[in-house]
Amino acid sequence: MTIDWNAFLLVFGASIGFSTVIVATFSFGVRLYTNAQSFVSAAKKGNQSAAVSEALNRAVAYAMFAIASGALLYGIYLIVPIFHLDK
Amino acid sequence: MEPILIVSLVVAIALFFDFTNGFHDTANAMATPIATGALKPRTAVIIAAVMNLAGAFLSTAVAKAISVSLINEGVSIGPEMVLAGLTGAILWNLTTWFLGLPSSSSHALFGGLIGAALTFAGAAAVNTDAIFEKVIIPALAAPLIAGIAAFATTRIAYLVTARTQVSRAKTGIGTGRDTFKIGQIFSSSLLALSHGTNDAQKTMGVITLVLVAAGIQSNGDHVELWVVVASALAIALGTYAGGWRIIKTMGSGLAEIKPAQGFAAEVASGVTILASSNLGFALSTTQVASGAIMGSGMGRRGGQVRWSKAGQIVIAWFLTLPAAGIVGALSALLVMQGPAGLVIDLIITLAVVVTIFQVSRRNKIGAHNVISEVEGASEVIRTPRQIRQAQREERTASKEAAKASAKAASKATIATKATKAPAKKSSKSAPAKSSAKGSTKSSKGKK
Repeated sequence: MTIDWNAFLLVFGASIGFSTVIVATFSFGVRLYTNAQSFVSAAKKGNQSAAVSEALNRAVAYAMFAIASGALLYGIYLIVPIFHLDK
Repeated sequence: MEPILIVSLVVAIALFFDFTNGFHDTANAMATPIATGALKPRTAVIIAAVMNLAGAFLSTAVAKAISVSLINEGVSIGPEMVLAGLTGAILWNLTTWFLGLPSSSSHALFGGLIGAALTFAGAAAVNTDAIFEKVIIPALAAPLIAGIAAFATTRIAYLVTARTQVSRAKTGIGTGRDTFKIGQIFSSSLLALSHGTNDAQKTMGVITLVLVAAGIQSNGDHVELWVVVASALAIALGTYAGGWRIIKTMGSGLAEIKPAQGFAAEVASGVTILASSNLGFALSTTQVASGAIMGSGMGRRGGQVRWSKAGQIVIAWFLTLPAAGIVGALSALLVMQGPAGLVIDLIITLAVVVTIFQVSRRNKIGAHNVISEVEGASEVIRTPRQIRQAQREERTASKEAAKASAKAASKATIATKATKAPAKKSSKSAPAKSSAKGSTKSSKGKK
């Protein structure tokens, strides 16, 4: 019997890898986004450092969400044959 | 019977199978976002339908795996064989659905086809290697892979977003895990998309197989555009039509799934299905989603596995392929008897379809017909809250017992009056703790 075990390893690696990257980056985004929320009230009262912290946390959080969606879209791009016709 | 007539019949039945597949599996992708409140039912159903439609156009690897590799080259397979396999699959699928047994449409389809091929042309007809490589091993491996991925990602999601009680009190904010609800909108769309790439292609594969068998298409290495379009539309329509079941059953006791868990499970199963579709592995999307739900249940701290329930689900997974194979073989035997046998086979299938449709329409949707196998899989895990509640009930029961024996000793009429009220309350089990405390206090006071 000739079974291409590498293909299963590939599915295993790709599944674990991609889902870890997507969920981990999204979770970090959630954490930072929540951090940002915690500074909102202080920032509104005119606390300068809180305002900076809020903006920073929020910016990195959005970057994390962007990375998560980017990884997802890249994964879909990889599997659609129409994008790889020149091969 | 004319070959072209049989081909049209197979195409029609295959598309019907595709429709029921979408109908059946809407819940897999959309049960968790609806349960956690991430999406309104109606929106969820529309997204699922559109994503299935899009997914069906993404790739044809699974369809080719079915039309090229499962049946050995050079074996003359008639369109009758495909018809027999297909009717066998539908019979098995609808019966298990009606009886509420967890089953897999995909395995029913493969089982039916393999059974019919074996009956028609003997063991030489089927490509055992390809069946192992493209169907059986993925069927076993994929739910496991998705489960492991979901377990790991659930752990990660909880670790990353964990906050101590102290810091929560200091900042006045929670863990922010509700934000995962927004992620769920995308992760459930991903799952619906992956469903389209894998399940719609199975229908494309079967239609291509019958076109090749009838000599209409020279070989099975490509899928005609009209086949892709028809299959995509059928599964999308089925998904949309299946939505009303979800809307009706909402609020009827979906097992506890937190947004973070739902997100992790959906990403894990969506990614696993997409990766498998890409390599032509035809797997059961339902089983992968169930595996991921179990994995994410174990990944949350304090989750316990109900092994007996998990065992039941896994045994059902193993049984589907051979059982559908037997049904497929039986219907192949019938079809081999000639045109009359074919007509009888069709009549039996039609009769079963109509009967089950009528009966299920008459029966109200209730707790006995769960909305999806994935939901069943979510019940495999005991959540921390359920464990606490069980312990609470145990405590209450032992206290009641102790109290009852104390009362039997005193034999006071006032005591019997007092027991009646808390006994009524504790039967509801939720406020049992407070009522138990109250009753022990009152009995102490009377002493």
